[in-house]
Amino acid sequence: MTAPFARQRYLIDYTLAALARRRGKNTGLVVIYTAVVFVLASAMLFASAIRYEATTVLADSPELIVQELVMGRHGMLPAAHLDKLAEIRGVQGVEGRLWGYFYDRANGANYTLMVPGKDAAEHSVGPGEAIIGEGLARSRGFEEGGALLLVSQTGKLLKARIKSVLSSDSALVSADLALISEPDYRRFFELPDDVYTDAAVAIRNPREIEKIVEKATYALPSARFVTRSDIARTYESLFDWREGLLIALAAAAILAFAIFAAEKSSGLSAEEAREIGILKAIGWDTGDIIAMKLWEGGLVSLAAFLVGTVLAYVHVYLFDAGLFEPVLKGWSVLYPDFSLAPRVDGLQLATLFVLTVVPYTAATLVPIWRTAITDPDEVMR
Amino acid sequence: MIFQAPILALLLVSALSALTVLWAASFGLRVIRQWDLASGTRAQLELERRTHLVSTLLAFVMAVELFTLVLFVFNADRMAVMFVGAMCAVGTLNVNDWGFPALYLKIAVFFAAALWLIVDMADRLGRDYPMIRFKYGLIVALAPLVVAAGALELAYFLGLKADVITSCCSKLFTPQKAGLAAEMSGFDERGALMLLAGAFAVLLGTAALWWKSGRFAAVYSVASVFLFVAGLTAIVSTVSLYIYEHPNHHCPFCLLKAEYGYYGYLLYVPLFAGTAMGLAPGVLALYGKTESLAGTLPRLMRRLVAGSVALYVAFGIVVVFTIATSRLVLFG
Amino acid sequence: MIELKDVSKLYNEGRPNEVRALVDVNLVIERDKVTVFKGPSGSGKTTLLSIVGCLSRPTTGRVFLGGDLVSGLPERFLTEIRRSTYGFVFQRFHLVRGLTVLDNVMLPAYPLAPPHAELRERAMARLESLGLADKAAMPVEHLSGGETQRAAIARALINDPRIVIADEPTANLDTALTERFLEIVAELRAEGRTVLMTSHDPRIWQSDLVDAVIEMRDGRVVGEF
Repeated sequence: MTAPFARQRYLIDYTLAALARRRGKNTGLVVIYTAVVFVLASAMLFASAIRYEATTVLADSPELIVQELVMGRHGMLPAAHLDKLAEIRGVQGVEGRLWGYFYDRANGANYTLMVPGKDAAEHSVGPGEAIIGEGLARSRGFEEGGALLLVSQTGKLLKARIKSVLSSDSALVSADLALISEPDYRRFFELPDDVYTDAAVAIRNPREIEKIVEKATYALPSARFVTRSDIARTYESLFDWREGLLIALAAAAILAFAIFAAEKSSGLSAEEAREIGILKAIGWDTGDIIAMKLWEGGLVSLAAFLVGTVLAYVHVYLFDAGLFEPVLKGWSVLYPDFSLAPRVDGLQLATLFVLTVVPYTAATLVPIWRTAITDPDEVMR
Repeated sequence: MIFQAPILALLLVSALSALTVLWAASFGLRVIRQWDLASGTRAQLELERRTHLVSTLLAFVMAVELFTLVLFVFNADRMAVMFVGAMCAVGTLNVNDWGFPALYLKIAVFFAAALWLIVDMADRLGRDYPMIRFKYGLIVALAPLVVAAGALELAYFLGLKADVITSCCSKLFTPQKAGLAAEMSGFDERGALMLLAGAFAVLLGTAALWWKSGRFAAVYSVASVFLFVAGLTAIVSTVSLYIYEHPNHHCPFCLLKAEYGYYGYLLYVPLFAGTAMGLAPGVLALYGKTESLAGTLPRLMRRLVAGSVALYVAFGIVVVFTIATSRLVLFG
Repeated sequence: MIELKDVSKLYNEGRPNEVRALVDVNLVIERDKVTVFKGPSGSGKTTLLSIVGCLSRPTTGRVFLGGDLVSGLPERFLTEIRRSTYGFVFQRFHLVRGLTVLDNVMLPAYPLAPPHAELRERAMARLESLGLADKAAMPVEHLSGGETQRAAIARALINDPRIVIADEPTANLDTALTERFLEIVAELRAEGRTVLMTSHDPRIWQSDLVDAVIEMRDGRVVGEF
């Protein structure tokens, strides 16, 4: 081991001994530090998990969605449009979709009613059958094999046997979902047979999507086209914005913490000040003291960062982020009860590091230096 | 679009760096005016002790700038989904006019801070602080650079609008376009490798010359800048093709991603570290004749030259290895 | 040889509470001798020792150590000189509480980073010769007064200094322990070290061991014997 490394090892040894001696003083700091890391890490991990959920959902969504616009608002899509879309070269298939929202007066919640797509074989429902989301089942006490009973505003009755309840794997989007058959859907909402909510267009080569949208715009001048990447972008900016808001709020906490840390490291106890004086007198240089103190801060940071991040991981993925759910997931009456898929990426850890360890270090540098410049002849006076 | 965690983190670091360096520069002006080592007054002792603080702070600035340089590129890469036409960091950086200048300035800040730390280290070897005024003059010069880098970054992030249609690496790093990036990727593969080999020859030649004569350290530093440019050109025009195993993909950022096994770090870390060390001897040579540094400064310079040559050679080996093991064959 | 030329030291210079701790001191201290500074408290002896020992710099004047000017050196180099040339035994010993005797003794060597095994061996040898080997693993606060002083001496010697400085070494010791201390000083001199002490203890400056006594008052040297 060369001298510079050996020197650092001696300094670390000394720091560890000093930390052990002043356990009481440092415990408070580490606890608060860990709490700051925990809150921030939870917010970031949670946002990332939700973002990931959204991307998984998106991956299954069609490349292109076509909506009819009436007076600039979303209207019903005439069935005739589907044929026009299918004629465009490069379009693999067109499927009219039926979905909508339903306000349930029984419990004041909003459901999404939907007719499952043709290729979703495991979710196919025949007339008089339904598949419902786990949140809906819970809030109304429905069970598999039981009956789904809904009454529309105009008094139409929907009665269907519950074929199954969706598992909570992707419950974020499916919690308030009810899948019913097309005839049931049209009757319940009193829809004519030749309209759809919108259409999903499958495209042979994703690279041609811009070209196809261009052609479709000519064919259907009144329609709006939403591509998958449009949705991804909206999602992304929505989630980022919310996450950012949380972090802007956290910034106040970080600032307070930095001030606390600066206070803490400049308010040396008499014992500690005496110790630094002794070290200076017996031959430690200002640089040695600074290095030793930086190790101390580094070890404290490392401990707080690791513990805070691990706790946040446990909080978000094992306890489903109990503390943040209402803020980030939305305000639906039906809180989805589901597990997030564990997911950590380097960019997030790096960001977390910059947002916690960097302010802490910056706040303590000046106090550390002030400590280190103790006059070496102090102990002689 | 600044309410995003990584962007807030980057801005925080830039603000901290700018404040630190501005303070250091104002202190630098005081040192330049008042420094008098012969004086035993308290004021002089205070100045001396404050230099410790400045060194620590600048080391901190360099460390966080280096860290956030990587963060900056990674964040740009992850944000690519938000911009039409962007597939990786290049697209995001191209969303407005400030992206690439901000990146270039960040790199410049890193090199400047590294250079300053080496000068500081050299100065501390002398019992009379021989380079103190020069060193603090450098900080005064460094301050505008750091502030400008922070300002560009802020302008860039403020100007990020999700509805902008940008162009990505496949469009930017294509030989048919104009501009620096296109120039670099437009270099024909053989030419770029020849350039790199030439730069290596010049570098090793100047290193040997310096080693023998103890003179022309500045030439070595110029050669290392030349090698840095040649190295980047080679990465963009040729080496990237071998890594992607695709004859037209020139992006210098994608190779930092997990898809390519973080291969880019093998190239960039030695190239950047070698250059940071290679820049210093030319500057240190200004003080080559200082009495209080006799013996210690030449030793430091030898270590720097040897270190940077070793790092460059490591870079060269990675380049050769990449080309040799790739399944892509450009030269039949 | 240590030489001081026109050395003055001000504390709190330019403020109302300015103190002139040393005034134009000119002095030569011979090597390989035992020199004692005596005088009432506040006479400047301790300040003088701290300047000689490179713990602080004179406000004006010059200090030479073996012919080299050390007074104009940056703090960093003063530290280097201090830890390679001087060993200090402070009045209240100033061991670091909570650390063992052995750790305390090794502390001054940390910045020099010698191999750990070698440092440990050196420290144990020192403790052995001072009769403290069996207390090596004990926290310093459990030592008696005399043992504490010997631990402090062991620490002062760990970097093998040419010059040992002791500030009021016997102020807290009874007669028997003072005798023991003087024995140690004799050993140090026999090993070829220069010893500098401040003391107002007559048992010290009347001892045969002492080669020179320098008397101080109000920051000036008023007599050399």
